Amino acid sequence: MAHRVDHEYDYLFKIVLIGDSGVGKSNILSRFTRNEFCLESKSTIGVEFATRTLQVDGKTVKAQIWDTAGQERYRAITSAYYRGAVGAFLVYDITKRQTFDNVQRWLRELRDHADSNIVIMMAGNKSDLNHLRAVQEEDGHALAEKEGLSFLETSALEATNIEKAFQTILTEIYHIISKKTLAAQEAAANSTVPGQGTTINVADASGNTKKGCCST
Amino acid sequence: MKNSDNNSSLDSRINQTLKNVQGLLKGRSIPGKVLLTRRADPPEDPSLRSSTFGRSFSENDAGTSDQMDMSKEAEAQGTSKQQNNNMTTNKLKPTNSNVEITSKEVQKSVMGARATDSARVMKFTKELSGSTVTLEKLRELAWSGVPPYMRPNIWRLLLGYASPNSDRREGVLRRKRLEYLDCVAQFYDIPDTERSDDEINMLRQISVDCPRTVPDVIFFQQEQVQKSLERILYTWAIRHPASGYVQGINDLATPFLVVFLSEHLEGDIHKWSISDLSPDKISNVEADCYWCLSKLLDGMQDHYTFAQPGIQRLVFKLKELVNRIDEPVSRHMEEQGLEFLQFAFRWFNCLLIREIPFHLVTRLWDTYLAEGDALPDFLIYIFASFLLTWSEELQKLDFQELVMFLQHLPTQNWTHQELEMVLSRAFMWHKDFSEIPNEVDGTTGTDSKVPSLRTFKYTVLQISHDDLSILSTGNL
Repeated sequence: MAHRVDHEYDYLFKIVLIGDSGVGKSNILSRFTRNEFCLESKSTIGVEFATRTLQVDGKTVKAQIWDTAGQERYRAITSAYYRGAVGAFLVYDITKRQTFDNVQRWLRELRDHADSNIVIMMAGNKSDLNHLRAVQEEDGHALAEKEGLSFLETSALEATNIEKAFQTILTEIYHIISKKTLAAQEAAANSTVPGQGTTINVADASGNTKKGCCST
Repeated sequence: MKNSDNNSSLDSRINQTLKNVQGLLKGRSIPGKVLLTRRADPPEDPSLRSSTFGRSFSENDAGTSDQMDMSKEAEAQGTSKQQNNNMTTNKLKPTNSNVEITSKEVQKSVMGARATDSARVMKFTKELSGSTVTLEKLRELAWSGVPPYMRPNIWRLLLGYASPNSDRREGVLRRKRLEYLDCVAQFYDIPDTERSDDEINMLRQISVDCPRTVPDVIFFQQEQVQKSLERILYTWAIRHPASGYVQGINDLATPFLVVFLSEHLEGDIHKWSISDLSPDKISNVEADCYWCLSKLLDGMQDHYTFAQPGIQRLVFKLKELVNRIDEPVSRHMEEQGLEFLQFAFRWFNCLLIREIPFHLVTRLWDTYLAEGDALPDFLIYIFASFLLTWSEELQKLDFQELVMFLQHLPTQNWTHQELEMVLSRAFMWHKDFSEIPNEVDGTTGTDSKVPSLRTFKYTVLQISHDDLSILSTGNL
């Protein structure tokens, strides 16, 4: 983003939205960025994109979210977009067991193509369809615990936890970055401090565990 | 008459939509906006009234204003194409002046087209009535648009599915349709226990996508339509293991479906009911869709194989062509860090179906199918022309605005006229650039006007499956 410095925000965080086909990624995106839900959405081809600017711990953060196609065939295309992403929003569908079982494959995908310290939020979407549930919430929690991910069940349709999930991941990213910034400042007074509107890579950040603090 | 038709179709659409929504939302209160894209094209929009997929030029229907509109525009295309031929001396002029000229020409032709309309239909009729159809002549005619009621036959011919020889035609079709039935029985109508894991996954993917295929056209929400689509796609995927099913191929089957159904269903597509058809007819329509989809995709095999190299190559060529046609736009996009892959990938993957109103798609496909084997390379010109429709707007947008604009282009209210403009300009540019030997392949870039050709060839060769990184978002 070096070509354009936008002073309307303090930080720009790039986040990728991944997960199996049909789990509701595009509607999570439209719910978060436009407060819309589309009943007749089409499959995403390649990648799509939207942004939203919001406050995180008193800072203005612009979330730039890349929504990716879920089909395996597109991974060669979509994985190129993992580069530079500081967060990943990994979605499964609580009514489709297989989409949960595939979470491991998506994590592998991130390990192979994304920054090793990328912050991951796992979302069990379609919580409004509780009567069709095929994945228990505890299973989601257990997996998140094991893999060190944040976790929430969400419903893009009812707007449940969408805001909270993004706040959580953005806050966590922000904390890592401010910690890094602080460390960098202490280490060398003349070192380059991430300035306004700069994309920041989360590298070597310690304390990258689950659950950032969240504010709504 | 027309109005009452539209009103009742509006009613039935609204009712259907309400039913869908009610089913989905039983007892819930939904925050924010719930979107139904169908609402975005109100039926009073004249463009909708010209969506005469099913409306044939049959006796009782001939001469309605809709059809005059459609065919007169088709005729306009034919005329403007010729006029564009004469314009090619204006080579490489700034885009905008070309747009203006084309625009005037098209308008002029539309005004004067009515009289020659029947002459054009006669040309088609003459071409089809002989014992052997000369495909070259048919291509030339079809390029500028086919009368809707002739589409099924002409598309079958153009794709090489129906025999040009009228004596053999029926027999071949009968055989092919039986062959499709055999394939369905062999591959689709079997229990999952006889499928491999990959096949089960593929079927699952297809069944996830069928309900979200052209969801804004209510006809596609009928369960039987989705089942037909599923059979076509799965059978195709099984028989094309190099690519298998790739999302977006579902979109490509839909123009065939509406065109071949239009042989059996009358009136507005929004009022079609597939259950009016006998199983035999449905099976024939499916077979025709299957074979035509196969023929179309045969010409683009590497568009859907791993990493989709065919599409990557065309996206790259598109970028080069745009740079040569409209350097300011090209430079602006480059400066903003916009990659063509970020928007044009879907264009190539779904052949623009996602980018224009569905009622214009069959007209666009007349030209696609008329191009035949030359289609992949001609797509570059169509897409350059499509993109540069917004040449001025694009230059005012920053990176994020560009991506969002290009992913949601304002074509909702497009009529045939805008589409004809895109095609005329594509034709003209293709002619301009074709005079330079092997231009898009860049094999002999000897013309001094195109200094970038050699480097272009070099760069194209650099793109391989493993080297996707250079195509990724450079600015991120």
